[in-house]
Amino acid sequence: MKDVAIVGAGMTPCRSRWVEKTFWELAQMAVSEAVHDAGIHIQEVDAGVAGIYNDIFEFQAIPESGFQGIIGLQNKPLMRVTNGGATGAYAMLAARNMVASGQHDLVLVLGVEKALDCYDFEAESNTPAVVQTIGYSWDPWFERPLGAHASESYAEVIQAYMDEHPGDLAPMARAKIVELLCEQAQNNPYAQRLGEKVTAEQVLHSRYVVYPVRVLETCVYTEGACALIFASSEMALKIKERTGREPIWLTGVGAANEPYFVGNDITRYKVLHRIYSDHVATKKALQMAGITIEDVQVIELHDAFIPQLMITLAEMGVVPLGRANDLVEEGIILPGGKLLVNPSGGLVFGGHFVGGSNMMSTWSAMREMRARNLEHGLIHGTGASLSMYGVAIVLERRA
Amino acid sequence: MAHTGKVVASAKSKTKPVISPAMLPMEGITDVQGVDGTYLQRNDVMFTAMKHTQGEFSDFFRALRDEGKVFGHRCPECRHLIIPPFMRRCPACNFVEMKKEYVNDTGVMVATPVITVFAPSRFKGQEPFGTGRVFLETADGKLSDTAMLVRVRTTRGTIRPGIYKKGTPVKIAFCDSRQGEMLDIFAVPQNELTPQQLAKSPLFESEIEWGRLSEMELDKPTAQLQKTLQEVRVHFQKLAAMIPHSPRATANLANWRRTVTVRTGGGTFGLVVNKGKLQVRKEGVKDPDLVVAVQDPSILLAWLRDSTEPVGDSVKSPALTDLVIEGTVVLNKPELETITRLDRVPRSLRRDNVVVARSPKAKQETPC
Ligand SMILES: [Zn+2]
Repeated sequence: MKDVAIVGAGMTPCRSRWVEKTFWELAQMAVSEAVHDAGIHIQEVDAGVAGIYNDIFEFQAIPESGFQGIIGLQNKPLMRVTNGGATGAYAMLAARNMVASGQHDLVLVLGVEKALDCYDFEAESNTPAVVQTIGYSWDPWFERPLGAHASESYAEVIQAYMDEHPGDLAPMARAKIVELLCEQAQNNPYAQRLGEKVTAEQVLHSRYVVYPVRVLETCVYTEGACALIFASSEMALKIKERTGREPIWLTGVGAANEPYFVGNDITRYKVLHRIYSDHVATKKALQMAGITIEDVQVIELHDAFIPQLMITLAEMGVVPLGRANDLVEEGIILPGGKLLVNPSGGLVFGGHFVGGSNMMSTWSAMREMRARNLEHGLIHGTGASLSMYGVAIVLERRA
Repeated sequence: MAHTGKVVASAKSKTKPVISPAMLPMEGITDVQGVDGTYLQRNDVMFTAMKHTQGEFSDFFRALRDEGKVFGHRCPECRHLIIPPFMRRCPACNFVEMKKEYVNDTGVMVATPVITVFAPSRFKGQEPFGTGRVFLETADGKLSDTAMLVRVRTTRGTIRPGIYKKGTPVKIAFCDSRQGEMLDIFAVPQNELTPQQLAKSPLFESEIEWGRLSEMELDKPTAQLQKTLQEVRVHFQKLAAMIPHSPRATANLANWRRTVTVRTGGGTFGLVVNKGKLQVRKEGVKDPDLVVAVQDPSILLAWLRDSTEPVGDSVKSPALTDLVIEGTVVLNKPELETITRLDRVPRSLRRDNVVVARSPKAKQETPC
């Protein structure tokens, strides 16, 4: 396998709704930024991967078909990836493998999503229609007819974890993480919630979306795009010579999807109080990179819900399962702590344009690693019902 | 195989449309304001109707509908029993064929169920509803190896925290009118059932006594609570008088007609929502559409004060909806709409400048 590096990144601002842009334009904006950032011509790119989560959000089946000419990959391979909330991370995995296998030297990976064109004409509001659109991800026989949807599903895992570890995921610890992410997002020029101030106190008083999860603990709906350029080591070094910019290396990848149905045996079914996919994916990625979780200085984590962020960090081994309050109480992720988590503000404050959110995480981790001189970063993606998809990617700077 | 796919017989079908006609937009292209100009948006739908086959699951849904029974599939090799019978071959045993096996209608919750407050479009009007997973007991005295997602209900008002937790023994009950779908069944806690009800299989919805607020036995009113309740009545009057001055608040209550009796530890009063207006009755109303029970009337008073004379922009009292979800305020039936409509009124009053927030007393700002 060949070494793979990221040599360029481009983002659109995250907005709740881009009435000014279609997803074609958002895609082109991000790609154009990414190639300029890498200092390459798009004609040098051999192939592409497009991460788009949900056809309904784009109002088109095979929504990537319009991209080919727009993003300058005519008559070259473009593969679409869709893997629930983890679409972005899975698209990166695919692009990475296209380079690592030796098949291509330069691959574009693009994530894009619309969402807020969905509209419930009866409620005169977008939200119920967006929630319903995501709700179509549940099976049509057993669970969807009961009204299963994203918040409910993650809340099931959170509730089950709290049954298992009473007292953990304490409301104040959660609220303080929200406050922290809000502050961190103010340093992300593309963040959806720039200029917002959310205090722990406000979190504790915000309304419930699904009991026991409050609205200020949930990610936002976002439209936007992000593109990254992956290169083989020879190509990455050539580009570095040309631009003087240091590539960031992808040294470990891991992915695991848990089964859909809940049961009593973790080797065969989803065990409700675990996010075992995150555990397995992270373990594999760290192993491949030859490091441990202690070596990681920055994690850009897919925080669909703040209590889930805490469980995921425990599954990754940052704290033991049942001790997630320590993240705050021991100051582990607070300013001055040993681990930087979601400097972008995460998906809660940065934004969650599903197909590309994990690429935004990557863009942010790269930025922090360069700016703060950090050696190792970790990118995480989760998704699907009960948070059952998990992807982890290790980033590394080489002297 | 000429008859494959042909409709052979129709079970009684519901007469209402699959989606509410109000969800369908009229054709049209309208303007929408962007940050740098005006753009066009087109009313549309992503539309595909279905005759969606239930395939190999048809037997399972027929058993719910016609037999009032639940069955799973058991692997003859590893002996795992799965509910619902979501696959016919056991992948752990290299796809050996599994066998149909009926399970009991009793079991336990896998975890504390969750409560949906804001539902997807197609489930509006059903909130708040609880969904949770159950392991059901099997003939050999064990539990199924997988769990089944079901709606969870309580006979004692609306679903709220504290009714169920991990391990709560439940019974699966059957709706009287069944279509052959997951909504034909639901769970009730065994401790809310009589021994006779527990012993009956299948147990039907109409055989259960609903709407009892038994654990909300309110204490004898004290002078203090009665005084607070009087303030609540006065503030509700004040709120009611403001609503006609606010088009938004009037719209919040439009097309909704409900009589409500509010029982508190300080006594009872009534609310009537009709034609976009709110009326307050000194006593409870006769045969109310909804009964709301809350021990401490000062909880309502806090909401009312924040609504009619807020200090600053931030509202400190929890929304009525949240009080219902937390179980501080209990409804006699799962119908949240009256409460959510009332919850929208204070914001509407502020947006229409009927209520102007007083500036905060001292410096209360917290740094972000
Ligand atoms: Zn087996």
